[in-house]
Amino acid sequence: MNAPLFQAKDYKSELKPIWCPGCGDFGVLQGLYRALSAIGRPPHEVAFISGIGCSSRIPGYTTAYGFNTVHGRSLPIAQGVKLANPELLVVIAGGDGDGFSIGGGHVAHAVRRNIDLTYLVMDNQVYGLTKGQLSPTSPKGLETVTSPLGSLEDPINPLLYMLAYGAGFVAQATPADMPGMSALIEEAIRYPGFSFVNIQSPCVTFGEDEQQLKAHKGKMKTLASLGHDSTNQLAAMDLARAYGKELYTGVFYKNPNPPPTYESLVKLRQAEQSKKARARHQILEAYLQK
Amino acid sequence: MTRQQQTPSIDFTILTLKDALDLAVLIEEEARDRYEELSAQLVLHRTPGAAAFFAKMVRIEELHRKQLIEQRHKAFGDAPVGVRREMIFDVEAPGYDEVRMNMTTRQALETALKSEEKAHAFFVSVLHNVQNPEVRKLFEELRDEEVEHQELVKAELAKLPPGDPLERFDVGDGPAPQ
Ligand SMILES: Cc1ncc(C[n+]2csc(CCOP(=O)(O)OP(=O)(O)O)c2C)c(N)n1
Ligand code: SF4
Ligand SMILES: [Mg+2]
Repeated sequence: MNAPLFQAKDYKSELKPIWCPGCGDFGVLQGLYRALSAIGRPPHEVAFISGIGCSSRIPGYTTAYGFNTVHGRSLPIAQGVKLANPELLVVIAGGDGDGFSIGGGHVAHAVRRNIDLTYLVMDNQVYGLTKGQLSPTSPKGLETVTSPLGSLEDPINPLLYMLAYGAGFVAQATPADMPGMSALIEEAIRYPGFSFVNIQSPCVTFGEDEQQLKAHKGKMKTLASLGHDSTNQLAAMDLARAYGKELYTGVFYKNPNPPPTYESLVKLRQAEQSKKARARHQILEAYLQK
Repeated sequence: MTRQQQTPSIDFTILTLKDALDLAVLIEEEARDRYEELSAQLVLHRTPGAAAFFAKMVRIEELHRKQLIEQRHKAFGDAPVGVRREMIFDVEAPGYDEVRMNMTTRQALETALKSEEKAHAFFVSVLHNVQNPEVRKLFEELRDEEVEHQELVKAELAKLPPGDPLERFDVGDGPAPQ
């Protein structure tokens, strides 16, 4: 076997995570290092963009470029980063609150533009950083500091949300299955276009018992074991409806014919326009003739 | 763009003694690094008893790693390493979800015991596929050592006063809001 170009530890920064011991995000970070090492891009060719939240601290824990931006604004900033430097591998990391509450309006546009980005949401069904308030994915009836009598709202379904907007790659993972989660993150990064992985990453401090990794181990089911065909978008939507009831892991949908990315279309447009471009003296002559 | 193949998994049916020894080194390294991380987490979250025990585990795993490295060098010198850390997942390392702030020393010892049992189960399971007699011998030794380690942890557990006075309790002491 050839020596690997980069090992998982090459992506690990000196900064020690301050997450609560037992937090699911530790496993996600570990899986991310491994996925990056399998992909083999050097850290300086990778950028992590996040919003604000416990999960959004991820950029600081990697040796890649990172931008821990503003709450809910990771998607627009990541799109800007990728368009400014399309050679960068850009990964977005954040929470369910960051992505589907304050940042929810950006999702549709990030998906429809189809920029080659990977969006990892650490879905813990609460606002972890601000101490356990209700989040858009909190189950109905959840009692939190902001819903002391239980939430009256139905949760958002992140999987259906992404599928409905037309994302080309939609998957779900849990750190209860580390090899499976790393492989899914890797596959999402390799997908040429916008890809999304909903990672059920438990909050041990404010999360419910049934959302912890021990419970995940008992209830997770791979989509492969259900015989799901991940090229079938309608079947993916049907299975995604079980979000919150079943814990399906794997690829719900992967477009077998990925459409061109936005950045490749921009490149084409630039090439076309540059053919029409006039030489400087022609521009000057045209100006003088007026 | 530089791209590698997906990390290959290990085929135990054709594993050589050199690769087996290197794998054993990596298993100890993974456990050492995890205990180091967990200990640092617990220091940060003011759980000194469990943190100190995990720091002790760091030294023990490092000792095992060094012994295996010596064995490997005696047999194969500086021959290149053919396996990589990414091929294994938490063989002897406790899972990240095994720890909590305010966990007791007893709970820390129980976590270590569980990890030694997990490592034992790993060797038992892979031995079903190992065919090379030298690798079999090595893995049988390592499997049996895991039992010895379990006994050591159990002896430490027995020294603790019964019913740890401070059982884990739930406190919401997450990171500071931004
Ligand atoms: C504009 C703005 N509004 C509100 C906040 C407060 N705030 C920080 S993180 C957060 C929610 C975090 O929840 P989530 O995105 O799910 O991340 P987690 O901490 O659960 O990983 C909120 C409301 C803020 N920092 N900025
Ligand atoms: S508050 Fe929850 S999400 Fe935040 S670090 Fe702690 S366990 Fe993790
Ligand atoms: Mg959250």
